Amino acid sequence: MSEESTALPWPVMVDPEAGTPADLMARVARGDSAAFAQLYDLMAPRVYGLIRRVLRNPAQSEEVTQEVMVEVWRTATRYDADRGSLTSWILTMAHRRAIDRVRSEQSSTDREQAVAAASSTTEYDEVAETVTTNLEVEQVRHCLSALTELQRESVTLAYYGGYSYREVAELLDAKLATIKARMRDGLIRLRDCLGVTGR
Amino acid sequence: MTTPEVHTLTGPYVLNALPEDERIGFEAHLADCQSCSSEVAELREAANKLGTAVATEPPPALKARILAEIATIRQLHPLVRQEEPVAPQPPAVKKGYTRRSFFGLAAAGLAVAGAGAIAIDQYRDNSRTTKENEQLAALLAESDAQMVRGDVKGGGNATVVMSPSKDRAIVLLHGLQKLPNGKTYQLWLMDKSRTMHSAGLASGQATDQAKLIQGGVADKIYFGLTVENLPGSPTPTLPPAALIAMA
Repeated sequence: MSEESTALPWPVMVDPEAGTPADLMARVARGDSAAFAQLYDLMAPRVYGLIRRVLRNPAQSEEVTQEVMVEVWRTATRYDADRGSLTSWILTMAHRRAIDRVRSEQSSTDREQAVAAASSTTEYDEVAETVTTNLEVEQVRHCLSALTELQRESVTLAYYGGYSYREVAELLDAKLATIKARMRDGLIRLRDCLGVTGR
Repeated sequence: MTTPEVHTLTGPYVLNALPEDERIGFEAHLADCQSCSSEVAELREAANKLGTAVATEPPPALKARILAEIATIRQLHPLVRQEEPVAPQPPAVKKGYTRRSFFGLAAAGLAVAGAGAIAIDQYRDNSRTTKENEQLAALLAESDAQMVRGDVKGGGNATVVMSPSKDRAIVLLHGLQKLPNGKTYQLWLMDKSRTMHSAGLASGQATDQAKLIQGGVADKIYFGLTVENLPGSPTPTLPPAALIAMA
């Protein structure tokens, strides 16, 4: 709750009449599809943006966004605010789905030996450009820059790149234990810098 | 893998960077590591800020497709919270147990102090130590708190402090033998049908440690400790290092 109610300015603002995302979610859990449409407006940019950042492919990203938002609807009755913020719940789901897609694509790619590495790099900049400049983004950027290079690379290669820690270790030519530790202390530093709590 | 190493898995776990088998192993560990799960919650909020930072407006047509789809999808049944028992059941006092449990609690009090000091060394994490001590003190304060103790093969002993009404137990392991790399202690609870249920792992590298078991304690008849390969085993490897009657 605290996270949403004190949220920094965001391009998609909720109608003040609509209440907090948590109120919306309570209505969604009771089967209110109008509330779901409002929740969609609030959350879909983050869900789609994250999935798009990981998958790069727009069509696949839409597909996975649809899966996630439908899952939010289906499991809204199970959401427990005591266990984390709504944004975190939804984005965790989105990230997992995106990663699942990466891993299953990867295994089929490995089988077919058909790699379209070039096309995915060209899309990178396009995605980066669509990032909205606002305070929250600035804050994340600032806090990321406060990490050591190894912490930052470890965290972002895993989160945005969808790589396992073993793959990250390979890419950064570092020991497995080091990468695991940098992922953790990088996130801890990020948490402290952003001032987020897990409740 | 030592305990501090298991602890660092919160990072890769939150980033979804663990391979499937390690993820399952870590989630099993999470279930009985309260400090890990609160860390996971916090780090998850932080990681998801990275997601928020790359928000992008989705194509408008997507909304209509999703709204059309949810119209055809039934929502899950809500999970019904378990109600607190109306009044704590009076403890089923075993013959000759009352007096022993009284002395036992005093002894466990000493063990608590010991475990606290050890935890400071082991984790260099005061908040965790404080939390452990608070949990132990709360458990000891329960009117039906009981304590049993037994020797562990290879050296040391295990003390189980439990409260059936709270369905919780704290296991204090003292003076255990260090295990070779890749090995771990695993805790078990045996039910009346003699089935062993895993109650989490204890480090094979720490000689003294405290583990909290939440839930599934009340109806169990034995506490068991085994030596397993990391990341733990679905069934206990016999013979156990310790098997202690709980009731």
